[in-house]
Amino acid sequence: MAQHQVNYASAAGLPIALTSVDKLVNWGRSNSLWPLTYGLACCAIEMMASGASRYDFDRMGTIFRASPRQADVMILAGTLSKKHSEFARRLYDQMTEPKWVISMGSCANTGGMFNTYATVQGVDRIIPVDIYLPGCAPRPETLQYALMMLQKKIRRESANMNNNTKNNLRLV
Amino acid sequence: MRKYTPKDNVQGKSYYTDRFWVAPRVPRMEVEEGSHFANVLKALGKKAKETYIEIGTLVIHIDAKKNLEIIKILKEKCGYTQCSEQSAVDYLANDGEFELFYQLLNITEAKRIRVVCRLKKGAAIESITPLFKSANFAEREMFDMFGIYVNNHPFLKRILMPDDWHGHPLLKTYPLHGDEAASWYEVDKIFGKEYRDVIGPENRDPSRIDRYDTKRFSRVGYEVPFGADISEGEKENPIEYSETILVDYTKDSGKQLDERR
Amino acid sequence: MQQPNKLTPFFENLNFERDDNTMVINFGPQHPSAHGQLRLVLELEGEQVVKAYPDIGYLHRGIEKMAENMTYNEFLPTTDRLDYIASTSNNYAYALAVEKLLGIEAPRRAQVIRTMLLELNRIISHLFFIATHALDVGAMSVFLYAFREREFAMDLMEDYCGARLTHSAVRIGGVPLDLPSGWVEKLASFCSKVEYELEHTYNALLQENRIWKMRLENVGVISAEEALSWGCTGPMLRGSGVNWDIRKEEPYELYSELDFDIPVSDRCDSYGRYRLYMEEMGQSVRILRQLIPMYSKTEPQLMAHAPQYISAPKEEIMTQNYALMQHFVLVTQGMRPPKGEVYVPTESPKGELGFYIKSEGEPYAYRLKCRAPSFFHTGLLQEILVGTYIADVVTIIGTTNIVFGEVDR
Repeated sequence: MAQHQVNYASAAGLPIALTSVDKLVNWGRSNSLWPLTYGLACCAIEMMASGASRYDFDRMGTIFRASPRQADVMILAGTLSKKHSEFARRLYDQMTEPKWVISMGSCANTGGMFNTYATVQGVDRIIPVDIYLPGCAPRPETLQYALMMLQKKIRRESANMNNNTKNNLRLV
Repeated sequence: MRKYTPKDNVQGKSYYTDRFWVAPRVPRMEVEEGSHFANVLKALGKKAKETYIEIGTLVIHIDAKKNLEIIKILKEKCGYTQCSEQSAVDYLANDGEFELFYQLLNITEAKRIRVVCRLKKGAAIESITPLFKSANFAEREMFDMFGIYVNNHPFLKRILMPDDWHGHPLLKTYPLHGDEAASWYEVDKIFGKEYRDVIGPENRDPSRIDRYDTKRFSRVGYEVPFGADISEGEKENPIEYSETILVDYTKDSGKQLDERR
Repeated sequence: MQQPNKLTPFFENLNFERDDNTMVINFGPQHPSAHGQLRLVLELEGEQVVKAYPDIGYLHRGIEKMAENMTYNEFLPTTDRLDYIASTSNNYAYALAVEKLLGIEAPRRAQVIRTMLLELNRIISHLFFIATHALDVGAMSVFLYAFREREFAMDLMEDYCGARLTHSAVRIGGVPLDLPSGWVEKLASFCSKVEYELEHTYNALLQENRIWKMRLENVGVISAEEALSWGCTGPMLRGSGVNWDIRKEEPYELYSELDFDIPVSDRCDSYGRYRLYMEEMGQSVRILRQLIPMYSKTEPQLMAHAPQYISAPKEEIMTQNYALMQHFVLVTQGMRPPKGEVYVPTESPKGELGFYIKSEGEPYAYRLKCRAPSFFHTGLLQEILVGTYIADVVTIIGTTNIVFGEVDR
């Protein structure tokens, strides 16, 4: 007679994992972060390099998407000029929840060296930012690290996005 | 007494200049007889007001009203088939004029000339787009940056700055950090004027530190939770190195690579 | 949760819905194949473009204004961010313009290093062009291969100056550092690597590739007169059969001593330009090979000797009082070039990159105009896009090789 009963307690381990909904959802969210290709200036080249052969973002489940509707993370790479700012906000609004923002490079963080009339002095004036990535331009390794930090942050958050407040924007 | 700053030129200035210091001038050379440049001047005749060679380039000062006529001669008779660059210099503070320059290139002779003219404030210049199509963008940029109107331009509109921008950025009266309208531009556009108070003014001082802002700043040895209120003062924390992130700095287990793998 | 906001669409009075058969589409300013922040408004009839209107300025950062508010040496790192694919060529063009104004010349070793860096940057930039152009047209694997080689070139740049993208490796009056030990050998092995890959990877992948040829041949045709009139330079001009390269015609640095060819194509289309880029990379490798033996024959001086304008070497500053005083004045006040104006063209990977500097004898430039090749190539789009199919628009944007850092400045 064939043994039809599975021995759950065998040495191979339990096929059941007990977890909370938060952990399960965040596991899914954090391991397939699809960023929007939002290259604005010099940092975009480093962002491309991190997606290309040597640094290979795909192995981290990070695949660049060209459409904001399919993206989870907006990597704002480069100088945001005042002329462009409304488009940045519009793209951010078009992204579906849940969404996160990495501000890549000094220009996006604070305006950086371009302390002039034409640049937005920090993208957090218009969109809430989760990770600030310093550097001019940050190396691809730094971007990978920023993404890993974002994954950590997501895993710490609640699955219900209403419970997660963005503290860094005075506006929201 | 407050330091006097001239309003007609708000650009960067040296904080100290020796009283007896006189700036030398780059040597200007006469055009040699029989050279290519001499033929150019012959073709122009009396139309060229002042001519000299400065660092390998022939500079021709002309009357602003005759710019199209003269550049046409240069293009058709002297072989200057490319207009590499065209823009203006603001001399409003000193002379009430703009200095316009056209940088022309002769490909067969490998020679460059610069046609320079002076334009009174408020006057318009004739477009050279019938001769050089590259002037289309260059003149639009000049209009955008200096507010110099160009007659008979096919599409004279702001090019670099947005359409609803105030002021012309490269004027000497325009400050580097922008005027009031510029500093609120993105807030007004996206959220509306009533959000100015919520978002607050721009921080233009790169070295500004807010002691009590725990969202942006932290003191080494006095770390507090993100966003905590420290108006009462904070406790001293012994410095600890993280063991959770990649490297444990407390042990000397780090290995330095001699060369790249 | 997303907060309701007052974001209203702003289409600059564009009428998207028309009564006739034409359709207006908006391309950009954020489009993955727009090479940055190019916004194109295209009027289409069926699939054909009847009117194209490039809208730029989305990356305007006020670099020319910054130049008026910074001393000459302070401004140099800002030039990195103009054409950020090949930073050294901008640094060099600016440094050369200031040097011409000052009337000084870099020492021989600095010249060799500068020429090496310039050609290395040309290879970096051209590889990037091949990568993105192929990606836009649809050949994804070329992108991955080209970025692989580009990383090796970036390693070399990093070994020299410590930065991958924004080098600031050229200073006014010379270069800041000597080549690190073993760098020249690495460069030599990089040269052979690039040469091999050019032949066996890129040419094999693309040159006779049927799809690649169909997408590129007879697309984006510009006649020689038009190219001249629109201010095209670099490969855009040489792709139209005009033999004009500033390195040959108005030689600067060591180019008069070097032996290299200028590839010219009279096909006038995108495919011809693509071939030019490939050939130019081969020529850059040839130049680099000639420079390697030249390097060892030079004296170790790196900065020009001009105490009025340029700080003395560190050793002299530390030991001699007068050098220290000069250094102090130069750092706190900045150099004061003579009055005058200068326009110096150089051949950057994209075309003629020139700096016009007007000096009034102050430590701040009175006016600095950057003549960027991409700016004029963008202007050209409004003419060559007309009459093409919408599928070719991306190819044409790719072939102009525009970089928005220098278009908008």
